[in-house]
Amino acid sequence: MNPVLWIHGEALGPANPALLAHPGAPAVFVFDRQLIAQAGLSLKRLGFLYECLLELPVTLRHGDVAEEVLAFARRHGADGVVTSAGVDPRFALLCDRIAAQLPLQVLEPEPFVALPEPVDLRRFSRYWRRAEPVLWARTEAGAPPARARRWDR
Amino acid sequence: MRSGDSLPPGDLPRQFASRAELETTLRQLFPEAPGGLSPIPGGRRAAETALAAIDPLAYGRSRNHLDGAVTRLSPWIRHDVLSLVEVREAVFAWLERSGQPPAAAQKLINELGWRDYWQRLWRQLGDGIWHDREPLKTGHAPERYAAALPADLLEARTGLACIDGFAHELHATGWLHNHARMWLASYVVHWRRVRWQAGARWFLQHLLDGDPASNNLSWQWVASSFSSKPYLFNRDNLERFSSGRYCRTCVAATDGTCPFDASYEQLQAQLLAVESGSESEIAP
Repeated sequence: MNPVLWIHGEALGPANPALLAHPGAPAVFVFDRQLIAQAGLSLKRLGFLYECLLELPVTLRHGDVAEEVLAFARRHGADGVVTSAGVDPRFALLCDRIAAQLPLQVLEPEPFVALPEPVDLRRFSRYWRRAEPVLWARTEAGAPPARARRWDR
Repeated sequence: MRSGDSLPPGDLPRQFASRAELETTLRQLFPEAPGGLSPIPGGRRAAETALAAIDPLAYGRSRNHLDGAVTRLSPWIRHDVLSLVEVREAVFAWLERSGQPPAAAQKLINELGWRDYWQRLWRQLGDGIWHDREPLKTGHAPERYAAALPADLLEARTGLACIDGFAHELHATGWLHNHARMWLASYVVHWRRVRWQAGARWFLQHLLDGDPASNNLSWQWVASSFSSKPYLFNRDNLERFSSGRYCRTCVAATDGTCPFDASYEQLQAQLLAVESGSESEIAP
């Protein structure tokens, strides 16, 4: 496989699984003009992103994200696109558009805490009752500290 | 703008002599984006510096105070410049290094859990995070809330030193302490009676850590569409957790017009059409 990497705003660090899996592969980040206009994003936010991106080995573009990623793949003669998972529903829409033209592989980052589904998310306390012991189990301490009182109990 | 000597057409520049040059370039590239750069720099190096400075024990003790030992890691965590896994490991490493008992890091680990929780909810709800999770518990019908933020708030000239200070800080830096976010959100929704979505959008425009899930669901918590009661605060609470920095210079604090200078019972009666609401423990 000779892929390009699509880097997006949910994974701008060294833990990015696409960067880890394909070190040295051409990578692109696209400033999403439509999103910037629709959300009315301030220059502060764009500047912060830009400074993060300047410390990553990535080509910077702006425009329509799917079109730019596909054009970047053509430019490098790539046979596929590799990216990291995103939670934003907009990410899924972009994936569909890219995958319609080129094979797209979406890599999952290491989870903060691995919990078998389903996880009850109706209130934080229900999630935390399951997550907290798992998080602390890997430490020397072994067990979480005594439970704190929270607003939602 | 520097185009760079050998950049292919349409590639954005990566070489800048200074932050001022970066700002100039970005203004030209994104003329629709208001304002200038934040004093908070992006990038992994700045993130690592901030991560190395965390003090989980002090965080747990003082996080609700505006001058407390909060980590300010949120902008980098939001974009995974720092992963939650990495921050978790840094906290556990701090525990080992410091010899502190696990309880010393409990609050900070808990706070990382909130970030994971909001992301899980977003995965489940998708764009549903923009809609009320539950009916409001304020006693007011949804149509009683304005669709847009008032101009005096956006221009930081409400005459309330705290609120104007928060609005100014949001616009100037793109970061607010969590407690300031809660006070500001509560003021918008309950005192000005504006739909939480308008406030959520405002925050997302400016906050460097602006994450739709964390942001919107926290606004819903304040508004009471994702909590059992509306979040209200009063002057005593704000003055205590800000060391009086706003009240000291605020005209409204001395001439009797401060809208927050009341008991929770009085505020509930004034702002809500039901019996509920008080300063409770703090959501992130």
